[in-house]
Amino acid sequence: MSDRRRINPPPGGTSAPVYASSTASPLPPTRTRRPDELRKIFLKTHITPSATGSAYLELPPSPSPTPSLSHSQSPSLKLTATAHLAPLPRSAPFTPNLLVSVHVKFAPFASPIRRGYIRDAGERELSVRVENALRGVIIAERWPKMGLDLSIVVLEGEEEGPAAIQVGEKDAGGAARKTEAWWATMTMLAGCVNVAAAAVVDAGIDCVDAVAGGVAAMVPANTAGGKGGVEVVLDPVPREHGDIIAAAVVAYLPTRDEITELWVRGDPRAAGGEKGLEDLVDAAASAAVGARTVILEAAREEVQGRVEATEGV
Amino acid sequence: MAQGILVAPGQVLGNPKTEKAGPNTHIQNGQICASVFGLADHNQAPTQDTNSTPVKTTAKTTDRATVSVTTTTSSINPISPTINSIVLARVTRLTLKQATVSILAISPSDSAASSSLAVCTTPFNGQIRLQDIRATEKDKVKMLQSFRVGDIVRAIVISLGDQAAYYLSTARNDLGVVMAWADDGEQLVPVSWKEMEGMTTGKREDRKVAKPI
Repeated sequence: MSDRRRINPPPGGTSAPVYASSTASPLPPTRTRRPDELRKIFLKTHITPSATGSAYLELPPSPSPTPSLSHSQSPSLKLTATAHLAPLPRSAPFTPNLLVSVHVKFAPFASPIRRGYIRDAGERELSVRVENALRGVIIAERWPKMGLDLSIVVLEGEEEGPAAIQVGEKDAGGAARKTEAWWATMTMLAGCVNVAAAAVVDAGIDCVDAVAGGVAAMVPANTAGGKGGVEVVLDPVPREHGDIIAAAVVAYLPTRDEITELWVRGDPRAAGGEKGLEDLVDAAASAAVGARTVILEAAREEVQGRVEATEGV
Repeated sequence: MAQGILVAPGQVLGNPKTEKAGPNTHIQNGQICASVFGLADHNQAPTQDTNSTPVKTTAKTTDRATVSVTTTTSSINPISPTINSIVLARVTRLTLKQATVSILAISPSDSAASSSLAVCTTPFNGQIRLQDIRATEKDKVKMLQSFRVGDIVRAIVISLGDQAAYYLSTARNDLGVVMAWADDGEQLVPVSWKEMEGMTTGKREDRKVAKPI
């Protein structure tokens, strides 16, 4: 009852979706990509006509080893971002710089367990991290007294596939799934940075570089022996790896070789030695370089479509 | 529009020794880099483009080419008033000391020709203080003999102002009221620098009139 401003769905009026039981797809997906291979990124800019800039990003679901019904497929990541450049409200104090504010919001249907409409800690953490990533890139003094409102909506989170969640087994693997959710949050952050960067590029806000997010993880090496040390994989899908030792997300500026945001979880030194962290961050940066080409390609497609449209008239 | 090559933010465009950094560029490590995604232009003359962010160009008679980038990604022009930009604004409120206006369109630089005006998606608040209405005999200016609510005014931005408004000035011949209506709603046409006349009634009203261009 704390949220009186929105029209919430009826408390008991809708029936929750029923997912196939976890026995329907007992095998978790396995990684079929090479360690240095990213998932294919679908990115389209300029999807919201009323916004200054906008973008939509989608990562495909990891292929399931067992053919199954569509709803038990592992979910993909779907994000939209809209950037609105507007004068600050009268109540805001004078600022000589562009004021960037980022809001990451999970749609209520983003995960199998419905989320509320009120901002939670996870959303807030993502918002702050995306904001940090963008703050180092945007040339804020070009837009005095203006505000850039960037809202990112997670339409579908890859966190916790439907098969992994049964309300009844909350306690059984709860802790393990919670860590898995953390790893998934990291890949989501990289996606959020990418979609936000694409929206900012689309908006035509002055930037020193097109920032891109990349994520890399340290996982037990997938060798026949089973105990063959660790390997670093780019763009990990947590469900594809039983165990993730450490992971790093960076927001990276390739032309300047600078990092504006770094998030490391786990202990890369324990498994990878002294250079473990360095390797992990380097790998994440190279994932970001890959994502940046997609961002620029999406922007290029948009511009060329526009130029052709104006020439055709 | 289609000339020039597509460049990405951060891409090196040239050397500041041989070229001048124009709109939508910045200098990093001694090199001119693009700061938006768009078409790069190496122009001999200073560029006047509605889409580009205004950057104050100081040396206009330089033999160096200006390198600039035109944003083409956004259909909604991100634009905001900067100092010296010419704006078109509607008077919304009058007091004896100042006129409150809402800025409707912005021309990027100090060019009186309003050919390259960009329309604001959301109006900006502006303020014309009594002392900024005209250049001479400032002490004799009366607000009600200069503007009326609803007038469209061409003005120049003299300051980013405070949190509430940009400060504008009409203290130039080519600045002032460009469109006005009489009390009965009839449109007025300028007859002198300080008077406008109803087209049919011939009724005259006082305004700080902009010189037609």
